[in-house]
Amino acid sequence: MTQTADVKQLAEFSVPALSVGAAAGLIAGGLAAFVGQPAGWAVVTGLGLGVPLMLFGAGYAVLLALGKVPAGVFAPAAVYWVIGFPLSLFVHAIVTEWAVTGTPGVPPDPWKFLAFRALISMGFAIGFLWMHEQLGRHWWPRILDRNQYARRVVEQYVHLAAALEARKAATGRGRVRNKRTA
Amino acid sequence: MDVTSKTSEVPEEPAAAAVTEKVWKAGRLEPMPIRKLPDAPPSMHILGPTVFLVALGVGIGESYMWPRLVLVFGPDIRWLFMIGVTLQAFILLEMARYAMATGESIFFGAARIFKPLMWFFYAAAILIYMWPGHLSAGAGAFEEITGIPWQVSACVALVLVGVLFSMLSVIYNFLEKLLGLLIGLLVVGTSVIAAIVGSWDDVAKTLGGMFAVGYFPHDAMNSTWFPVVVGACAFAGPSGMQQMWYTLQLRDSGAGMGAHIPKIRGLRTAGEAESMPSRGFMFDTEDPAEMAKWKGWRKWVTFDAILLFWGITMLVTISFTVLAMAAARENPNVAELIQGGDREAALKAMSDAFAAAGSPILGTLFFAFIALIGLNATLGLFDSFSRGQADMTYYFVPGAKRFSMSRLYAGFLWGVILFGILILLFGPADGPAGILDTLAFLSTFAMGAYCIVLLLTNNMLLPKKIRPGPVRNVIIGFGAVFYLGMLFYCLFRFGVAVG
Repeated sequence: MTQTADVKQLAEFSVPALSVGAAAGLIAGGLAAFVGQPAGWAVVTGLGLGVPLMLFGAGYAVLLALGKVPAGVFAPAAVYWVIGFPLSLFVHAIVTEWAVTGTPGVPPDPWKFLAFRALISMGFAIGFLWMHEQLGRHWWPRILDRNQYARRVVEQYVHLAAALEARKAATGRGRVRNKRTA
Repeated sequence: MDVTSKTSEVPEEPAAAAVTEKVWKAGRLEPMPIRKLPDAPPSMHILGPTVFLVALGVGIGESYMWPRLVLVFGPDIRWLFMIGVTLQAFILLEMARYAMATGESIFFGAARIFKPLMWFFYAAAILIYMWPGHLSAGAGAFEEITGIPWQVSACVALVLVGVLFSMLSVIYNFLEKLLGLLIGLLVVGTSVIAAIVGSWDDVAKTLGGMFAVGYFPHDAMNSTWFPVVVGACAFAGPSGMQQMWYTLQLRDSGAGMGAHIPKIRGLRTAGEAESMPSRGFMFDTEDPAEMAKWKGWRKWVTFDAILLFWGITMLVTISFTVLAMAAARENPNVAELIQGGDREAALKAMSDAFAAAGSPILGTLFFAFIALIGLNATLGLFDSFSRGQADMTYYFVPGAKRFSMSRLYAGFLWGVILFGILILLFGPADGPAGILDTLAFLSTFAMGAYCIVLLLTNNMLLPKKIRPGPVRNVIIGFGAVFYLGMLFYCLFRFGVAVG
């Protein structure tokens, strides 16, 4: 497979992770517009938060695709976001300062700023993982045929998927039997 | 492909099982036939039936009551919250023990011990949960964002919920996905907002306060504040009968022996529902292979209890406390309003403080999340209430078995919706003022009572090998003392029920 095709597949696989970051940015930017902020301000706020979260989200998806982190497990996601989340908000703070004052600037007490966000990142990691899995389970099966990474991750869920099929079949059998034993 | 719905294989049973089957005698009702325990799913997946408990539990206690207490008495009061939520995590595990081992709800378990116990919960659920007051916070926040009067959006939401649940073929699957997505959004969103407006000092104080065990301010020992503290403890995590309903969600998700019980369907396809067995099932606890599977199920539910339930409840309440502290810092008027106890005015002032401090986005986002919490709680509450009442009616009201469980579910759902609309239009949403104290009392009393029921069911009805150990029994016993003790102390010392 060519390198371009490989990158294309990784990008396609990362769509659910990108969507979570985009959702955060869209909420921020969309609401800014909704409450009557200038369009430019709303776009800057949305992008300032959304783009770093999307990029870090995509980074996590690539690690998942390459098998560096297991699917749906909390601890690796928590470790990843303890770095990614504070840095994303750091970028957001710089961009917001830029939008308000005209020059970019770091927040006061940058280490305290980062430490606090690192603590909150645990929560974001749960939410990210949760939404990533929710969106991924609809997206990855769609691209399964042409995307080796989606195929690999879906295979990790094969045990559950097989159990689902067996359960459905068993329910069909159980219907008759339950009537008899009720 | 649905890869996260928790499912499991129902093992094939021998054809002659109904004739020669072994049974487990539990209490006074029909014995439970022995069946195979299905394999536990790996605990790697993120979603489980606990999503319902989180949706119900992350409510007004987390978003308002505890932030209020922190502003009044300081962050050290939060140790009581820590105890309340940790206790609820243990209760969740014990509720799951009975439901997964038998496929029966805890209501059925209560009836096996002593039927009037079950009837108490049946009546209490109707009295506590038929009032649509719980819609007001979410719909009020929606009004702040859109300008649509809250009664209108609440009535429309009620009808929509009814139509939606009636149209679905299998209600559990849909709700699990919907609530999962909404809670994911809530968690991501509150993390982002708290990260934007909060500070290290706020969160350090909030976290430190969780370990200030024994702190109880003198000012809280009066008839104004003590009932509020008791109410907040009861509202730390799932309150009232929500933990009991969790056993029904577990059963319907097919967890443990719940795999042998058919799922509840929407009214449109209720005719296709499978017939319910007249009692639950038990697995062979003398078989080492079965016990290994049981351990897998316990591991699975423990993962849910710690990460999902405890983790998310803690996160949301820490985030909202940080938000309240930040708002009070921006505008001292907020602290006064929050302390005054007018919920709507306090939430509005908090929103305004965020809008002034950061940008109007934050004020609107704050309301959006209060509305989201309200929506989650409403969806979960209507479903759970109807599920619980349908379960008890089906099994214990004479003649009810001629209707299917799905039809009874639809009956209770539409009953509570129509009553809710009438009350929203013509009556007091929280219930008549004269019985408000009684309802608050009943809600907390039910929590102490279910701790006692849990001790009885899990120690008397389950085979020895899967009964809880002494430590867990002591913790659940402490739960009964904690809820009932505070409730009666409040009643006798100050003459009022919880606030």
